Amino acid sequence: MKLKKITALLLSSALMVSMLAGCGGAAEAPAPADTAPADTTEAADSGDDAAAADTAEASESTGDVKEFTMFITMPGSEINDDNEIAQMIADKWGVKVKETWLTGQTASEATGTLIAGGEYPDFIDSDEMNLLVDADALVPLDDYIDKYPEFRDEWFTPEEWDKFRQPDGHIYWINPFGNTMGETKQTTHNDEAFWIQVRVLEWAGYPKIETMDQYFDLLERYIAENPTMEDGTENMAYTILCEDWRYFCLENAGQFLAGYPNDGSVIVNKSNMTIEDYNTSEDTIQYFKKLNEEYNKGFVDPESFTQTYDEYIAKLSTGRVLGMVDQWWDFAYTVNDVFKQTGLDLKGCNYVPLGLTTKEGMENRWHTYDDTVNQASGIAITTDCEDPEAAFKFIVDCAMDQELHDLRWWGVKDVDYNVDDNGLYYRTDEQRQNWADTSYQAAHRCQYSYFPQWHGTSRDGKNANKPEEQPSEFMNDMAKPLKDCFDAYGITTYPQMIGSVQETNGPWFPMYSYSNNFTTETPGGVAWAKMGECKHEWLPKVVMAKDFDKGWGEYMDAYEACKPEDFLAEMQEILDTFK
Amino acid sequence: MARVKTEKTRKIPITMKEMKKQSFLMIVSFCMVVYGIIFYYWPLTGWIMAFQNYKPKKGLLGSKFVGLDKFRFLFEDDVFIKVIRNTFAMGVINLVSTTIMAVLFAIILNEVRRTWIKKPIQTISYLPHFLSWIVVTGILHVSLSPTGIVNDVLMRMGFIKQAINFFAHPKYFWWIVAFANCWKETGFNAIIYFAAITGIDPSLYEAASIDGADRLQKIRYITLPGIKPTFLILLLMNVGNVLNAGFEVQYLLGNGLVQSVSQTIDIYVLKWGISQNDYSLGTAAGLFKSVVSILLIVLANGLAKRYSEERLF
Amino acid sequence: MNEKEYKVSKPISDKIFGVIVVIFLASFVIITLYPVINTVALSFNDGIDAVRGGIYLWPRKFSMKNYKTVFAMQNIWTGAKVTVARTVLATLTSLFANALLAFVVSRKRFLFKSQLSLFWVITMYVNGGMIPVFLLYKNLGLTGTFNVYWVPGMISAFNMLVMRTYMEGIPESLEESAQLDGAGYFTIFKDIISPLRKPVYATVALFIAVWQWNSWFDAMLYNRMKTQYTTLQYELMKLLSSVMQQSGSAENAKNAGGNTITPITIRAAVTVATMLPIVCLYPFLQRYFVTGLTIGGVKE
Repeated sequence: MKLKKITALLLSSALMVSMLAGCGGAAEAPAPADTAPADTTEAADSGDDAAAADTAEASESTGDVKEFTMFITMPGSEINDDNEIAQMIADKWGVKVKETWLTGQTASEATGTLIAGGEYPDFIDSDEMNLLVDADALVPLDDYIDKYPEFRDEWFTPEEWDKFRQPDGHIYWINPFGNTMGETKQTTHNDEAFWIQVRVLEWAGYPKIETMDQYFDLLERYIAENPTMEDGTENMAYTILCEDWRYFCLENAGQFLAGYPNDGSVIVNKSNMTIEDYNTSEDTIQYFKKLNEEYNKGFVDPESFTQTYDEYIAKLSTGRVLGMVDQWWDFAYTVNDVFKQTGLDLKGCNYVPLGLTTKEGMENRWHTYDDTVNQASGIAITTDCEDPEAAFKFIVDCAMDQELHDLRWWGVKDVDYNVDDNGLYYRTDEQRQNWADTSYQAAHRCQYSYFPQWHGTSRDGKNANKPEEQPSEFMNDMAKPLKDCFDAYGITTYPQMIGSVQETNGPWFPMYSYSNNFTTETPGGVAWAKMGECKHEWLPKVVMAKDFDKGWGEYMDAYEACKPEDFLAEMQEILDTFK
Repeated sequence: MARVKTEKTRKIPITMKEMKKQSFLMIVSFCMVVYGIIFYYWPLTGWIMAFQNYKPKKGLLGSKFVGLDKFRFLFEDDVFIKVIRNTFAMGVINLVSTTIMAVLFAIILNEVRRTWIKKPIQTISYLPHFLSWIVVTGILHVSLSPTGIVNDVLMRMGFIKQAINFFAHPKYFWWIVAFANCWKETGFNAIIYFAAITGIDPSLYEAASIDGADRLQKIRYITLPGIKPTFLILLLMNVGNVLNAGFEVQYLLGNGLVQSVSQTIDIYVLKWGISQNDYSLGTAAGLFKSVVSILLIVLANGLAKRYSEERLF
Repeated sequence: MNEKEYKVSKPISDKIFGVIVVIFLASFVIITLYPVINTVALSFNDGIDAVRGGIYLWPRKFSMKNYKTVFAMQNIWTGAKVTVARTVLATLTSLFANALLAFVVSRKRFLFKSQLSLFWVITMYVNGGMIPVFLLYKNLGLTGTFNVYWVPGMISAFNMLVMRTYMEGIPESLEESAQLDGAGYFTIFKDIISPLRKPVYATVALFIAVWQWNSWFDAMLYNRMKTQYTTLQYELMKLLSSVMQQSGSAENAKNAGGNTITPITIRAAVTVATMLPIVCLYPFLQRYFVTGLTIGGVKE
């Protein structure tokens, strides 16, 4: 009896669901939105421009708004379909872009399936541009670029444009990032450094710290006198993050200590244009020797090499860690938030960067002043885009129209920011919070963050192009100890604190943009991958070694076995093209 | 294989009469085979990639053939040999430990008579299955850190004098992974054994009680034989999976110091294949895994047929 | 009442055994429940506060922000509907298909049963890779449709083998007597085999449902641009990966005053949101695992 009932229930629900599914299927059939464009393009071709505009999205009541799709091989936040600022942009500039982001795949997997399937979004920004060029999926942009000479001349120098030229002579993509307009407004040191808490500097009377020896000497002295924090938490002199790709916190300080900029994978010796390997350089040996010494003295966190990123951030958040090497973006945003919430910023737990070098009096290049143009990726228009003309115009608008730029990055005037009597933009706490709120972002904010954008000063000559670079925003929440520290050193920004030399980097900079694209198809690529593996395993061992020289010797044996010379030779070849 | 088997079991002559009688079975089989060929066997054309330098643009037919180059690359790399060892070791340890735990848990929970205890425990037991690995490994990491609860307990009980950094020593790694697997999956894996135990004829237990058997004896002579078919089938299936020892756990728990024991084939493939754009290498490794799996299955199936009733095919 | 009766005749070994059972289960429950409680606690905690670590069984700084963020997502309800639909439909179709196949290969007289089994066993261990599968689905017109969720995975050798094991346990005499009555194989399947195997159906249905419920990769791969076919898990994965991305952005830095979310707490909320519905389903299926023993108990 009961069984029959259940069976009946199951059957009827199965029927219902399959009907539902059937409906879905039926609805699917007459509206093959993806396959239809073939016909519509034909119609458009026969007509004039007005007809072309119609094809974009006939169903939209706005009529002449063109809807484009975009896929970005990075994780990111999708905005709502009825996002307010996106609608404003559509109303005024006639373009709406539906962005989709990477989820749960690697960039190359995602790009690979796109290519295999042969269907592309209108815009694409992938880390695997070469694959797309190989597949003839991208529209050459040269002609379009020349149609907008203002944009062409302002966005890149001819040399920079040339870096984007592929072997066939065409330019297929434009890097949207890292361009500074007018005077730089940079207030943070968004790069790598030896960081130190301001309370340590304050305790020591704000000394000048130039070398690793001085740095560790200061940390040791501080710990000796202040073994715990006010609340009894034990202070920790130095920790190292070593998880996965984040092991740069351990790995590459050697190049900076030698006074070189962040070429990442190698050192470029400008005097004779040769590639040098910092892994085996004297400065790097000194650096690891010092770490080894401090480790054996007990001043380096014993969990350094096994902690995860979350554990590391949690550790920094307690305010007990006096110093470490890291990139600002890797820790500062989260950790500073916690400090603010827990009041640790008032106790001097904020970090400031130190531009250490091997010897006193050397120039340091920890901070990158120049725009870093990464020629390996950028925004591109695909061959599936029906109206590349309009698509490209929007790219240009994003870069050239200040109103659009402000709308994307500052938001709506009087809603997301206010303007004071001097014409300077400022935000209230509430506006700032809204702007950072996930739900608000989805409903209201529309940055089109992979379209061209500027740092530096706005075309009005006053404001920063991006809120986070606006001086008032920066000074807004500086805690007193941090401010005292800045005052004591007579500086107003983080880059001034680290005091790197200002000079123009070579056109090859940064070299890591090349090595990142190495594949296992070349011996150099194989060597590069193996070197990474080897360093992951051996650098911690070297630091922990009882006998440094012996440990280093073993590491070098393993390192040489990876054939680093193959890698260096290929890097040299690339550098030679700039001779 | 198939021939040996038919000799052993009853011989059924292939006659028209028999075929007609079995027409329903034949039709179903035919449909299923067609379905299987389309959805499971047709994509295996992708294995061609293992012998090519596959480029997505050129596709399967257009890419350049490189013969056994990809396999040569794998097997000439000392690291890959180590990686096979790690995968195999962790696969076997995981298989044994998770199976034992699931059976143990199912049997022990079955001994609880009160449903109001039994049901909630069963529900709780399978909850961790829904936690992602990153959550589970995160908690495990905190618990096993030098300042974590495990070291704390061990030190208080006097087993150790100094905190152990479990993740810094290769010798602990495989066992930590096995523990993590048991922790997450025991309850879920046990579900199938609950169902098996439910299927045992209750009159058997009655008879045993009358004969004066205690609970252990009932487990031994009734429950265990009752779940034996399920146990063997699952074991056989999982023998083919020992090379799928996982990816996420090892990736999330590993670090530079233990990478010589933590890397599995899947991690290796990701590092060398996918992230370097080399689809062919990943396919070659996958093909290697499939071949080994099928060999293991055929072997295990042969053994099972010889020593018991159960078999996969 | 049976309990009492039972206790009287309990041998000493049973008492020792009982103690062991209690200890085992108690420690098992504690160790299993802990990560779950920890996740729930985190899901109700303020994001920035959670970064500091040290939250175990109870939230430290209570916040509903995580759940608000999850449920404020634009496509979450579309996703939920699609997920429920695919779970129900796939569970039914897949259960039926697997049962049918299991029935066929468990017929002792069937001429090709071992070949057919082998054919399916192999599918468990071979995999052509993402790209060929993608191309296949595209050519079959499955990409960009709802059908991609239930058609390709309808038969799984694992589930089929689990069912086969049970069906083989049915006495052959049942089948023979049915055949003597002139019943064909279809009738035997319909009348005899299928109603008898309730626990195994519950088990397999659970496996399929859990698998379907948690799937998101297919939605991402085949329906990336089709918002109407998005699934709950895919939406949640998108949220998670966007929060992970954002936590390192300058915007958040100036945000400490408000309620905040971070990957740690959002992940927890997402986990709880996923876990709850499927956990609620379990007690309904559980009946089938317990019935046999309750009957046994009564008979004792």
